[in-house]
Amino acid sequence: MNSVGLPHFLIVGAALFALGMVTVVTRRNAVGILMGVELILNAANVNFIAFNHYVDAPGRLTGQVFSIFVIVLAAAEAAVGLAIVLAIFQTFRTIDVQETDLLRE
Amino acid sequence: MGNLPSLRYFWPESILTVAVMAMFVQDLVVRRREHRVQSLTIGALFWLTLTALATYLYPSGTTPLFGGLIVHDPLRVFFAWIFLAAALLTILIVPKSKQVSDARVGEFFGLLFALMLGLYLMASATDLLMVYLAIEMVSLVSYVLTGFRRADRKANEAALKYVIYGGVASGVMLYGISILYGLFGTTRVVGDGGIGAQLADVSSRLFMAHAFGGQPAAQLALVVAVVFVLAGIGYKIASVPFHMWCPDVYEGAPTPFTAFLSVGPKAAGFAVAIRFFFAIFEKNVPGVGWVAVSDVPWPAIIGIISAITMTLGNFTALVQTNLKRLFAYSSIAHAGYLLMGLAAASAAGVQSILVYLMIYVLMNVGAFLVVISVSRATGGEHIADLNGLGTRAPIAALTLSIFLFSLTGIPPFAGFTGKYLIFAALVQKGGMWNVILAVIGVLNSAVSLFYYAKLIKAMYFEESRDDTPMPVPGLYTGILVSLGAMVMVLGIYWAPLLRWASAAFGGTTAT
Amino acid sequence: MEAVLFYIFAIGVVVAGAQVVLRRNPIYGAVSLVACFFFLAGIYVLLSAHLIAILQVMVYAGAVMVLFVFVIMLLNLKEEELGEMHVTTMKGIGLAAVLVLVGFIAWKALTPVQFARDMAVNEQIHGFGGVKAVGNVLYRSSVLPFEVTSLLLLVAVVSAVVIAKGKI
Repeated sequence: MNSVGLPHFLIVGAALFALGMVTVVTRRNAVGILMGVELILNAANVNFIAFNHYVDAPGRLTGQVFSIFVIVLAAAEAAVGLAIVLAIFQTFRTIDVQETDLLRE
Repeated sequence: MGNLPSLRYFWPESILTVAVMAMFVQDLVVRRREHRVQSLTIGALFWLTLTALATYLYPSGTTPLFGGLIVHDPLRVFFAWIFLAAALLTILIVPKSKQVSDARVGEFFGLLFALMLGLYLMASATDLLMVYLAIEMVSLVSYVLTGFRRADRKANEAALKYVIYGGVASGVMLYGISILYGLFGTTRVVGDGGIGAQLADVSSRLFMAHAFGGQPAAQLALVVAVVFVLAGIGYKIASVPFHMWCPDVYEGAPTPFTAFLSVGPKAAGFAVAIRFFFAIFEKNVPGVGWVAVSDVPWPAIIGIISAITMTLGNFTALVQTNLKRLFAYSSIAHAGYLLMGLAAASAAGVQSILVYLMIYVLMNVGAFLVVISVSRATGGEHIADLNGLGTRAPIAALTLSIFLFSLTGIPPFAGFTGKYLIFAALVQKGGMWNVILAVIGVLNSAVSLFYYAKLIKAMYFEESRDDTPMPVPGLYTGILVSLGAMVMVLGIYWAPLLRWASAAFGGTTAT
Repeated sequence: MEAVLFYIFAIGVVVAGAQVVLRRNPIYGAVSLVACFFFLAGIYVLLSAHLIAILQVMVYAGAVMVLFVFVIMLLNLKEEELGEMHVTTMKGIGLAAVLVLVGFIAWKALTPVQFARDMAVNEQIHGFGGVKAVGNVLYRSSVLPFEVTSLLLLVAVVSAVVIAKGKI
């Protein structure tokens, strides 16, 4: 690992974060937006594991353990989010977030 | 303190965990029985009483638990009582509200207890892992309870918006946490070797980096990370610019849960904010008080956010016709008032936040209870539905007036106490900007009087088509009268509450 | 060797991640997300996080994405109509903010990070990032979050049923 160091991994994380944000902002489809959220969570995970390897004290695993919790929580959030998407589809017959817009003054 | 000894300080949380499962099981067992709702409500009250008892029996003092993941201190206990009060009122309100179908009350209570556990953990978390976990727990349950009336299109839409905003906010917060972990090599905020301790220590790594010339990059990364984390907290307390979900969610959620949402998670968000703020931005110098750690003027930034939050909340509330949306914007405005206490960056500021939050639970849940009473009788949730309430349900109208005057901050009601303490903390801190912020707060209170007075005008001066007395359940009348009485009493005699709050924020000062 | 692997994985992650944004058809998006997660697992292995890499494949690529694909198939989602990328002001501001932010973060990352060790000493530690080492931390110092997560999963399961199922 002579040429590859911490910054390289951080750039992968930053790129994933940006892709996730762009997905969330441009998608109109609720499932697509949830996929964008997954990208954001993975961006954070890349950071955690990279920092764990390069920055944390030798042998400590704070970042890796944190990323396990992130993976589990992402699964839980995806389950609940997709359940809500299903409920939306049953009542609206669409999951386009611009058409599901009754709550306006 | 290690894992096993810590359990002694963990009784309420353990009981809540059992309560979640017990409510689910009880829901299955009493499925086809008579008095199903009553038995479930009694079960929920039983578990809540047990939790309250365990909270009452908390040992005193400050001690880190589970190896420093959470802390036991008076601040945590104070917040626990806020959550307990909100949960008690919600459990009492739900059965007769006609908002949650009888078949699903058990699930509602079970999820509410899970939410309570999340709130308890938020109020005591001192490690970013626990902060993230607790916020996710609260969010996840909130999404579900928001979309609980699943036949209702508005409820579904509110839940979807909540899940999207919430998911992005927590994702951004997580990214901020990951950068903080990279900068400090730990996720501990408070405690030995934690982020707060490292920032206050001139021999720490961040300052060492300064010597190597890496300071600007590290400093900038720190600012970005902190802003990201504040985004997650700001979304929980519904402050600008993370408030967009608030009106939609408040309108779509079942009203008893809206009442809970407006006080419980908001208070917990402030608990996290207080711990984070006083660990990272300030350090306690004996004899001097709180001194800023970083070059970035965080209190000023929070002051600006607070001013924008309350102004936007109040002015948008002026044009609302739906009561739940109106109270949603009013709750955004109140997040602004509360942030002023944080901007003061002093112990007095935090104490005023604590006092105000406790009072806010009483008056806001009370106001929502009147909305529930009206909507279960008329089926509507608009200002016009309040017409003639003064003659149709005099007690509800009178107590709503008390709550509204209190929310405005007019003496001698309790809301005045809270606002007075916040403004006093700002002025006491001194400096021109703090005084200007206090003036903005006073002006905002004056603006809020317009829309609160609109409701009072509707109740007493507008003719209603229907003049028959409005049926209000005896339980609701009882709750309204006792809440109204408490609001009146705390407006005149607030010394015990302030003493309690002062004791609560004596302990957090030691990191 | 590691450098070559890193670039393969990193380019894979970014390209597959970009497909999630660019593909209008959600099923393509979901499948490229699976590919993205596989490449990420490769990156985790390079960072000697072996257990996480396996979990990434099993939980993320395996379970979570199957859920996504399942929902997409269930709803029979069509391609989003083309030309819907009309950029409103809010979206424009959001996008600009994101790009500025990412530019900043990339620049920050390129600046030599003073805290980082020159050579990763963790590679010399036997079993670092393996099941035993991670499990030791997970069940000792992180046992509270572990238990809380277990309750959270129970609540998530119940919630998903409560929301998605009608009459039980």
